Amino acid sequence: MTPFELMEPQTLQEAVGLLDPDDASVRPVAGGTALMLMMKAGVFAPTRLVSLQHIGAQHSEIGVSGAGELRIGAMATLSALERNTKAAEAFPVIARMLPRLSNVRVRNVACVGGALAHGDPHMDLPPVLAALGAKVSIVGPKESRDVAVDELYTGYYETVVGRNELIADVIVPAMQSRKAAYLKITARSADDWPALGVAVALHADGNTLRDVRLVASAATAMVMRLTEAEKILNGASADDATLKRAGDAAVAEAPIIGDIRGSVAYKRELLRVGVGRAVRQALSSRPTH
Amino acid sequence: MSVARTIHFTLNGRKVSTEIEPHHNLVELLQRFDLFGARESCGQGLCGCCTAVVDGQPVSGCLYFAVMVDGKSVTTVEAFDADGALSKVQQAFIDHGAFQCGFCTPGFVLMTHQLLQDKPNPSDDDIRDYLSGNLCRCAAYPEIIAAVKAAARAGR
Ligand SMILES: Cc1cc2nc3c(=O)[nH]c(=O)nc-3n(C[C@H](O)[C@H](O)[C@H](O)COP(=O)(O)OP(=O)(O)OC[C@H]3O[C@@H](n4cnc5c(N)ncnc54)[C@H](O)[C@@H]3O)c2cc1C
Ligand code: FES
Ligand code: FES
Repeated sequence: MTPFELMEPQTLQEAVGLLDPDDASVRPVAGGTALMLMMKAGVFAPTRLVSLQHIGAQHSEIGVSGAGELRIGAMATLSALERNTKAAEAFPVIARMLPRLSNVRVRNVACVGGALAHGDPHMDLPPVLAALGAKVSIVGPKESRDVAVDELYTGYYETVVGRNELIADVIVPAMQSRKAAYLKITARSADDWPALGVAVALHADGNTLRDVRLVASAATAMVMRLTEAEKILNGASADDATLKRAGDAAVAEAPIIGDIRGSVAYKRELLRVGVGRAVRQALSSRPTH
Repeated sequence: MSVARTIHFTLNGRKVSTEIEPHHNLVELLQRFDLFGARESCGQGLCGCCTAVVDGQPVSGCLYFAVMVDGKSVTTVEAFDADGALSKVQQAFIDHGAFQCGFCTPGFVLMTHQLLQDKPNPSDDDIRDYLSGNLCRCAAYPEIIAAVKAAARAGR
């Protein structure tokens, strides 16, 4: 890796001040797992990295409120989230996803903020949080704003987070009576990057599906909601015909990308069946209260 | 631009300090202390040959900025036989022939120590799951799993 200047601010606001809105070679660094890969591959050569390692323990906190809302500080590691029993009880869909996200060593170092800000469409956390209706709070030099996770991504490795902004934390609304599932389809080992990710959260009102939030990743250039498929599912019952129509609608609306884990044609078929499977998995998940 | 800084940390129980530039990773840092058990192989976080334990948690040294160990405690495979005796995990790996070339072994041994600390009686699934990020090119996997179970039985 080529040399760079490392800054180690003590607060989030100080970190924001060390970023540069006009210089793409200045980046914040959390765990550094994704950035180091890019630096080793020669696709990123920073002039300055602003480390978030010392901005204070409050930014690594994970808490579930009495009402069931989950707040995760951007600097919480993925393994801290995995081991947090309150979060796991309140959001089983997150707890089930994490053990298949990469390996123990990466999860020990990678941070939730890094997992959200990186913008690689293959990542597992963003689709799940998007389906759950989570929001990130983004802090800039002058003001903070909240952005829904499903509106965070604008393209392949592109997000709405400005060069001089930082994700401070993410808030996941209470599960209440919702059910959720994340289908991670891998073409190689179980913990590999997915060929397709489908996340869904919904209310089951008897046999009728309501408030369905359906999100695709990995097969698409960015994490995205499948709104046409959602329209078919909302108000319908989850029978074979409906799920098939929803799968077809998803394939029609999603811009699919091919990569070494699957061609476009292969991923289209994965998505076609994946939508129905994810909905069925959500329906059969045990309620959280 | 890149400025070397002095970091202080505990290395295998000993307090040490050194100057390091920010672009160096943990494997490079350990080499300065003549510790070669963690070695860079894939360089991408996938294989575990570069495993070191930082504040009780295994990390991939190849994807870990050296400066991040400042103030922390680092354990490498060399800690286990510092007193001249092999650890129970190391002995179990030998007893079960859980390697051929041995290149991956320090990583597997460190990960096994860590697994048994978290789960003293791991199931086969626990073992496979925990060690899924460690690759053995000689494919000694069946023997490795047998060794992990034997080490669990022996208690560490
Ligand atoms: C071997 C391997 C396998 C992997 N497999 C998977 C997998 O199966 N599924 C999966 O989801 N992921 C996988 N990953 C990716 C992993 O999840 C990411 O590397 C990790 O989440 C990034 O977190 P980090 O803290 O290390 O980020 P960093 O590398 O520090 O940063 C990543 C990006 O986010 C920016 N950033 C970091 N924090 C903030 C913040 N608070 N605000 C704004 N921007 C910020 C950085 O500037 C950088 O652009 C894998 C990684 C490796 C090395
Ligand atoms: S060399 Fe670090 S994980 Fe392979
Ligand atoms: S023993 Fe040769 S790589 Fe594992």
